[in-house]
Amino acid sequence: MSNNNYFSGLFFGIKSLLIGLGVTMKEFFTRKITEQYPENRKELKMFDRFRGRLIMPHNENNEHKCIGCGLCQMACPNGSIKVTTEMLEAEDGKKKRSLVKYEYDLGCCMFCELCITACPQGAIEFCTDFENAVFDRAKLVQQLNKPGSKVAEKKPVAKPVAPAAAKPVTEAKPVAPAAAEPATEAKPAAPAAAKPAAPAESAEAPVEKKESNPETPAAV
Amino acid sequence: MNTESIVFLVLAFFVALFSVLSVTTKRIIRAATYLLFVLFGTAGLYFLLGYTFLGAVQIMVYAGGIVVLYIFAIMLTGKTGDAKQHTLTVGKRAAALVAALVGAGLLMFVIITHQFVSQQLGADITNESAAPISQIGSSLLNAGEEGNLLPFEAVSVLLLACIIGGLIIARKR
Amino acid sequence: MFDFKVVTNWIDTLLLSFLPGWAATLVECVLVALAIITLYAVFAIILIYMERKICAFFQCRLGPNRVGKWGSIQVLADVLKMLTKEIIDMKNVDRLLHKMAPFLVIVASMLTFACLPWNKGAEVLDFNIGIFFFLAAGSIGVVGILLAGWSSNNKYALIGAMRSGAQIISYEVSIGLVMLTMIVLTGTMSFSEICQQQADLGWNIFRGHIPAVLCFIIYLIAGNAECNRGPFDMPEAESELTAGYHVEYSGMHFGFYYLAEYLNLFICAGIASTIFLGGWAPFHIPGLDGFNHVMDYIPGAVWMLGKTFFVVFLLMWIRWTFPRLRIDQLLALEWKYLMPMSLVLLVLMAICVSLGLTF
Repeated sequence: MSNNNYFSGLFFGIKSLLIGLGVTMKEFFTRKITEQYPENRKELKMFDRFRGRLIMPHNENNEHKCIGCGLCQMACPNGSIKVTTEMLEAEDGKKKRSLVKYEYDLGCCMFCELCITACPQGAIEFCTDFENAVFDRAKLVQQLNKPGSKVAEKKPVAKPVAPAAAKPVTEAKPVAPAAAEPATEAKPAAPAAAKPAAPAESAEAPVEKKESNPETPAAV
Repeated sequence: MNTESIVFLVLAFFVALFSVLSVTTKRIIRAATYLLFVLFGTAGLYFLLGYTFLGAVQIMVYAGGIVVLYIFAIMLTGKTGDAKQHTLTVGKRAAALVAALVGAGLLMFVIITHQFVSQQLGADITNESAAPISQIGSSLLNAGEEGNLLPFEAVSVLLLACIIGGLIIARKR
Repeated sequence: MFDFKVVTNWIDTLLLSFLPGWAATLVECVLVALAIITLYAVFAIILIYMERKICAFFQCRLGPNRVGKWGSIQVLADVLKMLTKEIIDMKNVDRLLHKMAPFLVIVASMLTFACLPWNKGAEVLDFNIGIFFFLAAGSIGVVGILLAGWSSNNKYALIGAMRSGAQIISYEVSIGLVMLTMIVLTGTMSFSEICQQQADLGWNIFRGHIPAVLCFIIYLIAGNAECNRGPFDMPEAESELTAGYHVEYSGMHFGFYYLAEYLNLFICAGIASTIFLGGWAPFHIPGLDGFNHVMDYIPGAVWMLGKTFFVVFLLMWIRWTFPRLRIDQLLALEWKYLMPMSLVLLVLMAICVSLGLTF
């Protein structure tokens, strides 16, 4: 250490120490952000991006957006999602896939959000609930679609896009009611729901749907 | 028998006990610790006499300095346990005995022949003997009649020699 | 100012009225010892609580808030827990030294604690060489730490003790020099006289102006290092040495180290407030007699404690701001910066005093 460095280093050091002291003193008087959890349970609001557990939002008519394509199941690295679907014949004779049961195992989930990015419909999302503790591991396996729910009609979704993309709207219209009706019937028969999946032909239907759908959000 | 004598006896017993312990123990670090207590006891004697300056010096220099130095040296050099006992040869034993006897005889001679200031150690002596710190300072750094500047500086030469010696040992590596 | 000697003299005459002289002295000694030990424990609890709260606030947290209102009896609960914990005997330790080391540390801490002047006439150990005795008693603590490290038969403890020894011995040099500088200003080593002088003439930090302020800063740094507290807590650097020299201690033996650490902080702050900030001397502004008169009504003990806790807060602020130093940086700070600076300040103060440049 040369003579010049000695004093300049000393004063630089003192200056930087004082800056540090200033920072902590400011911190000393800032409002504390600690949430006192059990007491403020009523008004506690988790931040929006917190990933508590997976949910499938339903609207007021008990309708969800899941078309049962199974992409989330495939995207999940831990296999915590299990989608059960059945094939139903629509009025126009087209076979149509429909969701029977959407099972989600919270115990296996690692909250990576890959399922949500994979979903073409935006049907699932993470909510900010965090009180997920249960006494039995079996209770961690949740069914996300509510009993008696059906897939939402395309209309409300497509409405804002209507002028831009007229075609998907017309296409979707006949499909929706057809899919909706059998869903209610299928519910009681849920355990036996795994009807022999119709081969090749039916597999194409969701693919078509999927292709048409990404356009609508894009148009919005 | 007044209070001072009782305290003196307690302190003297304390010093004697730990002196014996410090030479009879087989573990070197314990010997250093017992030595620490001997020095505390000595400091206690100074405090009993009201000579607080010397008592504080005793604690500061010996307890805080020398013993810490000993313990540091033991920690740096000794192995844990240091269980290996050296059995002394007959010649060494005889030499130690002679040295101890000669030392004891010398000490006894000095104590017996020395004329103490007052054979009757009264209670009133305690507060009068406490010299003010300014007097100690001026006498220590005074080159005049009652001054002790020369021994003071001579001691600093000793310390200088120690520093130089330390530097030379350290540089050899 | 209220002179506490009134109380002590009253107790003295009361005891002498029905006891012989030696018994009265004995009873007084026991009373004083009890008072000191009680104060020691109470201040330890207050300081630990304060440390936890202040640390939390510096880190934008709330700190303990579950046990009692605002967590106020959290520390008491911790003390009870500590008292009930088992003191574990380990294999291959030097049992005698292992058990004795915490007591050496706490005895050193209590001896220095007894040096503090609480009020006018309320000094426990008040020699004419007060500051020197304080330094001497403080140096016993090092032995306790070294013995703890050695006797634990644990390499972490040993390394921690070595570091602690090197650190304390090094920083004692600049503490001694800084105190010497202030003794040059005051001309006395007795704590009671230093306080009385400051009550009459003004606080030393104002009387000694520039050198005194710099000395105060150096004292704070060196004192913090002397207490083994962050940013100088190398001996306990928990990330590398687990807990340093007291890693093998449990129960109340560990508690003694913990107590001594906090009380050393308090003592360090107390000595700083005695030597630099006037001890029990109230704050006076020359010329404003009305203001000075009001200040005189505040008891000396309140002044003393107020100043001490202010300095404690400063030290905690330092602790929770700066990262830990490396051992070579730590020694470089002392030997390359603090010690030369305090030597220069000693000369500067001597010049100031001899030329009459102090107030």
